[in-house]
Amino acid sequence: MRIGLLTDGGYPYASGESRVWCDRLVRGLAQHEFHLYALGAPTPRAGRGPALPPQVARVRTAPAREPRDSRPYGRRDRRRFTTHFRQLADAVCGERNEGGGGGDFAAGLYGLADLARERGGLRSALRSEDAVRALESACRAPGARRGPHVATLSDHLALAERLEHALRPLSLPWYGEEDGLGAVDLCHAAAGGRTALPGLLAKRFFGVSLLVTEYGVPLRAHYLAAEGTPAVRALLAAFHRLLAAEVYRQAAVITPGTTHIRRWQEKCGADRAKLRTVHPGMDADRFAAVGERVDAVTTGGDTADARTLVWVGRVEPTKDLVTLLHAFAEVRRARPEARLRLIAAPGRGPASAAYLAHCGALAARLFPDEARFFSQDSGGADGAAAVGRAAVTFEPLGDGGGLAEAYAAGCVTVLSSVVEGFPVGLVEAMLCGRATVSTDVGAVVEVIGGTGLVVAPRDPRALADACLALLGDPERRARLGAAARARALELFTVDQNLAAFRSLYLELLSRAPVRRDAETVDAEGGPLPFAHPAEAFLPGLWTGRGSTPAWAEPAVGAYAGGGRG
Amino acid sequence: MADPVKALLDRHRVLCQRAVDPLEIAAGLEAHGLTDRTAARFRHRDVFSLAEELYARVPRDGDVLVAPSAADATATGAAPGASGVAEGSGVTGAGTSGPSGASRPSRPSGPSGGLGWALTVLLPGVVGGAALVGVASTGGAVRTAVGAAGGVGFAVALAGSLRRGPLRGTGRMRPGTRAWMGLAFCFLVAYAAYGDGVLGALLDGRPAEGPWPLAPAQLLGLACSVAPAAWCAHLFAVRARRSLAHSRGLADFAAGTRPLLVATVALYMGALTALLTLVGPAFGAPVPAAPAPHGATRPFAPLEEGAGTMGQALPAVALGTLLFVARLLTVHGYPRSAATGLLAAGAAEALALGSVLAGRLPGWEPLARPVGTVVGTWGAGAVPALACGAAALALLARATAVLARASAHAPT
Repeated sequence: MRIGLLTDGGYPYASGESRVWCDRLVRGLAQHEFHLYALGAPTPRAGRGPALPPQVARVRTAPAREPRDSRPYGRRDRRRFTTHFRQLADAVCGERNEGGGGGDFAAGLYGLADLARERGGLRSALRSEDAVRALESACRAPGARRGPHVATLSDHLALAERLEHALRPLSLPWYGEEDGLGAVDLCHAAAGGRTALPGLLAKRFFGVSLLVTEYGVPLRAHYLAAEGTPAVRALLAAFHRLLAAEVYRQAAVITPGTTHIRRWQEKCGADRAKLRTVHPGMDADRFAAVGERVDAVTTGGDTADARTLVWVGRVEPTKDLVTLLHAFAEVRRARPEARLRLIAAPGRGPASAAYLAHCGALAARLFPDEARFFSQDSGGADGAAAVGRAAVTFEPLGDGGGLAEAYAAGCVTVLSSVVEGFPVGLVEAMLCGRATVSTDVGAVVEVIGGTGLVVAPRDPRALADACLALLGDPERRARLGAAARARALELFTVDQNLAAFRSLYLELLSRAPVRRDAETVDAEGGPLPFAHPAEAFLPGLWTGRGSTPAWAEPAVGAYAGGGRG
Repeated sequence: MADPVKALLDRHRVLCQRAVDPLEIAAGLEAHGLTDRTAARFRHRDVFSLAEELYARVPRDGDVLVAPSAADATATGAAPGASGVAEGSGVTGAGTSGPSGASRPSRPSGPSGGLGWALTVLLPGVVGGAALVGVASTGGAVRTAVGAAGGVGFAVALAGSLRRGPLRGTGRMRPGTRAWMGLAFCFLVAYAAYGDGVLGALLDGRPAEGPWPLAPAQLLGLACSVAPAAWCAHLFAVRARRSLAHSRGLADFAAGTRPLLVATVALYMGALTALLTLVGPAFGAPVPAAPAPHGATRPFAPLEEGAGTMGQALPAVALGTLLFVARLLTVHGYPRSAATGLLAAGAAEALALGSVLAGRLPGWEPLARPVGTVVGTWGAGAVPALACGAAALALLARATAVLARASAHAPT
């Protein structure tokens, strides 16, 4: 079947958060045909873009820079625009009001979408005086909240500009019957909110089902990044909340990545029956060698490695290495032979370098003469021996296969972050079969699920107690490590992720198949029997496009339009 | 027993005061690492209900109208911030319509960017003056070369002064509009340079021979007026932006901006008239383009004989005002109106020339009579004065309606 993948953040050409899993999805589900619709991706020059797999049949991009002004509207279209925009503005201004707002967000949004599709872009209309006047009167209306009521003229202008940016997907030329979103069987949006807006319109114009996958919460990201006066922020937040609610209402299935995200979706109005948690998938083959290795660490022996705590990650203030160092000081007081290895991936930006220096200074103070720092160019046998003697070592992460070996270097992996989304490092440690001690932040509890120890954040004593418990009990370590690897292999591999999406695609298509009338009539206008047989929705190309058996001649005419996979 | 929620409130006071709804507080708390289990310590079911309690308990200033000075500071401080966010969030590779300086962090400059434009706009006048001095003081082939070089230099200087500063257009014009506007501008300037001479020659009944007589004073005055035009446009934009922050509503803003616009245009007209009065006597002496066969050299501007420098300046003032109002409309986002006005003026002048030409055909003399009457009564300078003046008035009326809208002054 043809899947329309809607991304924001620029897959396939630019890099963004969703790039990796979109790439895995497209490559993993090779039997479907993918049409990529990328918001915010610059169109590369011909022949310069990255190589895309053959199942990507079409890529359409909408660059992030400002488009040209569209032709201004005539009088009747301006009246239509004002009516719909006023509905939208009333809904935004009156949301969460006790008396219930006036205005209908969905009606306003779809009215604007229809207008954009028929008459060309909305850009000049959204920046015109009509829009500002509608915003002003909506904010002064009796049903509005207190916040918008005090909005000044500059606030209205700023809000009009932000709304124009947010509603830019409405003006894109993506909604054609043949060459746009009308030609797909299913829309898969890589995030909710603005990214899924083309999917909403595809559902309205063509009846295409919408599947929304969220590995982050766009509303939360919007709140954390919002700037401007209180009135502007309040109105924009109301707009994004209403948009998110509308997306969840129209989506057929919503897949959050973790329970953490699922709570936000339920809070924004998603129907519980539509929510299916699909964990993000990670590549497990890299860690297979380490995970299946049977050595002293896993069988509970007592070697040098069996006394080492390992921390792997990017040095940032949110990782809270300070707590970890204090906890390790306590551990070392009880067990003088314990060691801590901090294996750091290269940090981003000056803040991480400053934090690394701060942690280095703290380590030098807590463990005088026993802290070692290794840069990239100090290696070899001397380096390994030096590592063996020191209490705390800061090491750089080697590139390539060094990640698995980094986790294999110790018996217990520690995570002490105070802020974490989906703990990728933790899952990697679980895949390596290591027992873990981590702090209760983000989705950690859900990921661990009882195969590791979880303590409260910012509590060095609790962290130290948990580490000591594990260091002193080799059999428990082995048991937890094996259970962790089994759990990770069951829940967090790429295969389970792809299998979940495969079954979701089939389920959605069986529930609401898209029937295109143009494909049920032949060239003369007579009915074409068996244009939509049941096999049409099987994965794979069941007829058409070169798949004729060797003993037959290629068919001409009647079934030319019926080949769909 | 200490209230744990109160401690949390104190720790996140800034977040809670800034928040516009409970979900924002929840997002902020989660960004600091709170989970549902931590919220259980505060006797709440999850972070959302804890956020609701915090939202209800914190004394907020987000909803109340603070003192005007603080509000203005946040408004003007937020406008560059808002445009900065909008730039950063989506508009990464903005093309020619880049930030017009409102997001420059060095100074809270208004809509015109830095101060480099103040020197660039003086260039067209300087280059034009140098070219005319060169033309007047040389002869023969050198004069042609100097004239050509001067023309090219002037065009480059003018293009440069229109690219930065307060006369810069929004850069989102459609190519068709841009082409028509360029064509009309070139025709109007050519008519201002040669048109009076051509019209006079045509009305005299002589066929056009040799290089046409040139009217340098008007051109030089117009070239020097690019600088006052830029300053007036900057003044208008800055005052309008300031009143945007102060006004209470759209009607309020419009009522304040209309007189400002009229005053700006009047200021420019005054400056242009003063420039032409200064420049006129310096370049008024006619430079003979070619010895006329009748032995009587036709003066540059026929008005020179009669009405004096004021009358001579009138067509230039009309043309300058038309160009200024058209540029103001283009800068604030209405290029189609500007193009229409310029095209109308150019078409009127072309129509005048064409009617005189057509009047030479046998049987079509009545066509040339209106233009001939006008020229005979008020001189050949009346034709461009009437055409440009009418177009300028029409554009001014349109600008009064359109530039008083708040959306024309939106900081982009």
